[in-house]
Amino acid sequence: MTSTSHHGSAFPHGNSSPLSRRGWLSTAAGGLGGMALSSLLAGEASPAEGTHPALVFPVKAKRVVQLFMAGAASHIDLWDHKPELVKRHGEESDFGEPVEAFQNGLGPWLKPVWDFKAHGGCGKMLSDAVAPLGAVVDRMAFIHNMVSTSGVHSAATLLQSTGFILPGFPGTGCWVGSALGSLNDNLPTFVVLPDHRGYGSNGVKNWDAGFLPAQYSGTVVRPGAAEPIADLHPHASAQWLTTDSDAATRRALARLNRAHLDGREGDGRLEARIRTYELAARMQLAAPEALSLADEPEHVLRMYGVEPGKTDWPTEINVPEETHHFGLKCLTARRLLERGVRFVQVWSGNDNGFPRRNWDSHEDVERDHGPLARGMAHGAAALIKDLDQRGMLDDTLVVWTTEFGRMPSSQAGRGRDHNPFVFTNWLCGAGIRGGITHGESDQWGYKPLDRENPTTVHDVHATVLRLLGLEHTKLTWRHNGVDRRLTDVHGHVLTPILS
Amino acid sequence: MVLLLSFLCRLALVVGLLLSLQPSMAAAEDRHAAARALLVARCVECHGEDSQEGGLRLDSRGGILRGGEYGPIAIAGNGTEGELLDRIRTADADERMPPSGEPLTADEVASLSAWLADGLPWPGAEGNADRDPRLDHWAWQPIRHPDPPAPVEAFQSLPGVEPDRNPIDAFVRATLAKEGMRPTAVADRRTLIRRLSFDLLGLPPTPEEIDAFVADADPAAYENLVERMLASPRYGERWARHWLDVVHYGDTHGYDKDKQRPNAWPYRDWVISAFNADLPWARFVAYQVAGDVLRPDDSGALEATGMLAAGPWDFIGHVEVPETKTDGKIARHLDRDDMVANTIGTFASVTIQCAQCHAHKFDPVSQEDYYALQAVFAALDRTERTYSPDPAVMRAHATLDARRTDLDTQKKALEARLAEAAGPRLAEIDKNLAAPGGGNATPAFGWHSEIVAASRPTAADTEKWVQVDIGREIAITRVVLHPCHDDFNGIGAGFGFPRRFRIEGSSDPTFATNVVRLADSGPDDLPNPGTTSQVFAADPAAAGAVRYVRVTATRLAPRQNDFIAAIAELDLLDADGTNVARGAAVTSLDSIEAPPRWQRANLVDGEFPGPSADAIALRRERDELLAKVPLEVTDGLRTLEEELAGLARQREALPALRPLYTVTATQRGGVPRPIHLLARGNVSTPGREVGPGALSALAMLPARFELPAGAPEGARRKALAEWLVSPDNPLTWRSAVNRAWLHHFGRGIVDTPSDFGRMGSPPSHAALLDWLAAEFRDRDGSLKNLHRLIVGSATWRQRADDDPAMTAVDSGNALLWRQSRRRLEAEAIRDAVLATAGTLDLTAGGPGWQDFRIEHPEHSPHYRYDLADPADRSTWRRSIYRFIVRSQTQPFMTSLDCADPSMRVEKRNESLSAIQALALLNNGFMTTQAVEFATRVAREAGDDPRAQVDRALRLAFGRAPTDEESTVLLELLRAHGLPAVCRTLVNLNEFTFID
Repeated sequence: MTSTSHHGSAFPHGNSSPLSRRGWLSTAAGGLGGMALSSLLAGEASPAEGTHPALVFPVKAKRVVQLFMAGAASHIDLWDHKPELVKRHGEESDFGEPVEAFQNGLGPWLKPVWDFKAHGGCGKMLSDAVAPLGAVVDRMAFIHNMVSTSGVHSAATLLQSTGFILPGFPGTGCWVGSALGSLNDNLPTFVVLPDHRGYGSNGVKNWDAGFLPAQYSGTVVRPGAAEPIADLHPHASAQWLTTDSDAATRRALARLNRAHLDGREGDGRLEARIRTYELAARMQLAAPEALSLADEPEHVLRMYGVEPGKTDWPTEINVPEETHHFGLKCLTARRLLERGVRFVQVWSGNDNGFPRRNWDSHEDVERDHGPLARGMAHGAAALIKDLDQRGMLDDTLVVWTTEFGRMPSSQAGRGRDHNPFVFTNWLCGAGIRGGITHGESDQWGYKPLDRENPTTVHDVHATVLRLLGLEHTKLTWRHNGVDRRLTDVHGHVLTPILS
Repeated sequence: MVLLLSFLCRLALVVGLLLSLQPSMAAAEDRHAAARALLVARCVECHGEDSQEGGLRLDSRGGILRGGEYGPIAIAGNGTEGELLDRIRTADADERMPPSGEPLTADEVASLSAWLADGLPWPGAEGNADRDPRLDHWAWQPIRHPDPPAPVEAFQSLPGVEPDRNPIDAFVRATLAKEGMRPTAVADRRTLIRRLSFDLLGLPPTPEEIDAFVADADPAAYENLVERMLASPRYGERWARHWLDVVHYGDTHGYDKDKQRPNAWPYRDWVISAFNADLPWARFVAYQVAGDVLRPDDSGALEATGMLAAGPWDFIGHVEVPETKTDGKIARHLDRDDMVANTIGTFASVTIQCAQCHAHKFDPVSQEDYYALQAVFAALDRTERTYSPDPAVMRAHATLDARRTDLDTQKKALEARLAEAAGPRLAEIDKNLAAPGGGNATPAFGWHSEIVAASRPTAADTEKWVQVDIGREIAITRVVLHPCHDDFNGIGAGFGFPRRFRIEGSSDPTFATNVVRLADSGPDDLPNPGTTSQVFAADPAAAGAVRYVRVTATRLAPRQNDFIAAIAELDLLDADGTNVARGAAVTSLDSIEAPPRWQRANLVDGEFPGPSADAIALRRERDELLAKVPLEVTDGLRTLEEELAGLARQREALPALRPLYTVTATQRGGVPRPIHLLARGNVSTPGREVGPGALSALAMLPARFELPAGAPEGARRKALAEWLVSPDNPLTWRSAVNRAWLHHFGRGIVDTPSDFGRMGSPPSHAALLDWLAAEFRDRDGSLKNLHRLIVGSATWRQRADDDPAMTAVDSGNALLWRQSRRRLEAEAIRDAVLATAGTLDLTAGGPGWQDFRIEHPEHSPHYRYDLADPADRSTWRRSIYRFIVRSQTQPFMTSLDCADPSMRVEKRNESLSAIQALALLNNGFMTTQAVEFATRVAREAGDDPRAQVDRALRLAFGRAPTDEESTVLLELLRAHGLPAVCRTLVNLNEFTFID
């Protein structure tokens, strides 16, 4: 056993490895003078910009919006045109090999529920259910050979959101925030806009910080709700609290905390905590402004399909309601991105319960996918056009994903079973070569055409990080003895889709 | 150019060696170690224990000299020739080794070359040429029991600094002296009692306790205070929380659906009671791994096994996906992985999950080690078991079970004699009698699904369902399925009976909503049951009342070229045993309506195949045979059967058992699943089978458990428990003292408390760690003794003051030149708020309190914290008793870095954010408690504002206000009232940072 000869050499493998941000954070927390205070508030007060060791590439994207379809959206009915399936519709399905399907949904071949038509200059075939995206298809890059390692919703959702099939790993936006910090100290770095009906599989595990400090967690924002951000204002039961007493409390806190600092100046955390209360006050002003649609002109609301104040929706799932809710989230996303939020995650679809209010169409693709897809396509197209007309699409990356695809065979006549063997992602905007398709599925949309060379979520994550200027193998955090990465031990940047 | 120069230098060195020049021994050893480490890092994944590509192993000197399929690859003493060097140096990328990653640098090639030239020296004990250099890492070495160094004379009389109080100080101060540093002055009593109270109890001391301690003239005042706190039940509540972080305890499953786990809490309560009782560490550890085996009649030991089931669990991957499917295999593999990681990471502080795909890159943990550990848990499934908290009842059950086992053995012996005396014909008759019964009493056979052609490999898995409408909602206690009899296809008894099925109830005829599972056929195919009625107990308490009951065949019965499902009769028994299905309306996905034999209505007509007509004759023949058997055998059997029936009655008469969420081996009849090495962790490509064992890195303990063939499942866990708690196991004892140290100083001696491997931090005070571990181990593994020692040290009692000169050298205070100011954890902040407000309800134990409302419980419960009432007093209990949801973590606690119950948390993060400030200012809990706090202050201090401010500050911080504080707070009080003052106090830095 070696004894410590010099304290500096006692921790050569410790948390203060030069590549680990935690190293300098914990050093700072221990009271190192000279460390910029803002570093302690990483993710809210920006860390000195451009200092992360993984930041080694030119920055193409400054911000990201991820659209997540909970329940597994069908690539076959939306994006991945399969004429052979139309031709063989109703014939007994034959995959040429034994297939292990989640609910054994291996009925006859089922053609896409909607017709496909060519769109844009690139002539990409898109389903009528997502036709509004045709107007921006020349900016989109499709990946039709995505594969998952799990056909179970929870695991596959986690894989897309965190890179792992187990809970407990940080969401993609947490990693991004931890590396790049915020563009606006007065708003959270990573915002999550959940489906208005509730969370998808795994709930907050898709966006919370895991082993990263809590400040990197996604902040849930519910546009249109009475309290869109938890605890932004005093609890409804605290009627005794007024704006004046709130301000007086804040002043008293600042003064007494400063007095407490006397003799404790070496502990940077105390000063940093004083600043969090100042930031909180600014967020109380900035967040309502960012979430208010009062200054959005009528034509913008119409473009997103938003009907402010409307609540009397039909009980059955329907297109106008889905369009309103998804459009509201897309419009909110644009406002947040505009104000410097780094990463926005927009969810479509609740959990896998009944009646279906997500994309898990085992029983009837047309019934569920119809309203969900039309609403999603309307809002997503509006978002892309809006970003473009504001000059933001050049440095904003839009990523569309879902946990896996659906089978080309039918289940219960009109539904489709899970297909973890192949599905579709698309990316759009910053640094993306538009109007292209990278990777194809086979004639049925059952597996990748080239089974040896599929695309994985780690490849997509590595690509997203690259566009943000980050080398995915260098964005690490040591936890329980392993230098963890968003891309685990995998991931190759998809250079063909980069512009 | 630098590289090239370096390469040339090394070449020169090699040349020099060949000329028999003697370089310094140490430099040569460093270089050799670097070369060996290079092989480990870049080569042994494919050429090592787990994989031997090309028949080659590079993880031992012998292996390298032996070479591969194509012969030798290196020659000892030759640093320039051989395939090893050729393949790493070649410019041909297809040929070059290693095949992935960057090619070796010129430096690395040179070090290998030099090492080969030196003759491949491979150090190890007694000239063991195959020794893995990674075994030299500190953590694998035995615990020494070093003598404490002599006290540092210079520190014994520094102004304000306490002289050494115990050996901890000698170790710590020896290091400080060596570094040219000095200890800090002792803290005052007010600071000490507040620090001690949060450290040991997680709660602030009351102003009265503080005043009493400050005024206590007894020379043993401090020691007495420590004893009082260690004897408080609040101590176990504080320290159990640290433990539950590490074992990732939660009250829901997590993942999709995130169902509640309402009976996990007995484990949490056991941990609390174990800490309070100061259970010797060896027992604390062993019970959690194998308490049910080691002490079968001890309810506490069984509760302890809740640790193995504490982590998240994929309900869908286990319940909805069978083990035969890949996703089902993955789910079960990950389940065992969770048990392995939870056991080895927690007790031994070793990370081994990477070894599920490949040999550990940094530590000497092989894939075989990893899967040997999986084999320990291979028979287990998570489940609810029933038990009694009353040891007497447990013992009574154990006695009855032992007696039953005994009687069963006797019965078997007598049955053997019976068989001998009566001859082989008796067995034939019994077989016939037990065999599938005879024909149908009437031509009304039952319900018959449409036929599925065997055109696809998965045709058998086509689902077919049939359901009845009882007409009203009713609780079902039992479901009976009577199989059909039809000679078609030569099948006869059991015709069409599905191989797998589930039975569900609902209030919705479409079964789209409110579906509850009443029973299912289990994970495996059923054999043809003949005409034996299949009885399933339903749990009406869990399922509730249902109107519709649906039987869904999930694997159909095979015929020659097709598959079907057919059932003669469905009985649904209510609590009184009445068959409420009789005559009910029947619907089905499809049906062959071919009356009178096949139609839906036949399912509930009371007609089903009875026993064989010739059974009567067989019974007569049997009686004749039995007449030849000695009376002592037949009478003996009768007596035994009567006694067995008596035992069953006694069992029912015992007090009701209660449920506990833990693990069981009974779902597999105690038979472990075979565990195979999985190349790259892929469940679809199993390699060779592995038996139970532990880590081979510990030379002092057996790595594989030599258990007799057919040893019960529990023997594996017992062996692992013994391996863990062996006095010779250096990991367990170091791990325990290091975790305790962390919570006393904010940082462990090893700063990575769950990873003692090479990727973890080395100990800051290695000798002290060993001394503490040895003391702890040799003094009954008493944690309370360890606390006494640590909080009794001058090191712990130092002030938390800053000193710029020291900070410049050791800002993280790794060397303990002062005490570290600590930010309270989420639980301690919340509990301190309640304690300060005077509202803390100290009710201990039992099901967790819930500060959420559940919506949509039928599918995926939505846990709505925003709908909870912060004024609900049932939630004003200590935070350890909170019901912990995994998928929707408590937002207030999460903002304060509460442990994530989905991951094993060795050490809490510490973050500061605007969201956290907003939570502390505005969350309903905080605003409600501010009012309660104000009410208390008004009650205790009367109407005088000055007295109110004084009292409020004493309650919050245990001290009188300064003039400035009085001024600021009085102004706030006059303008905005006492609650505003109280809200301010609990938001101050001083409330969450403890000096």
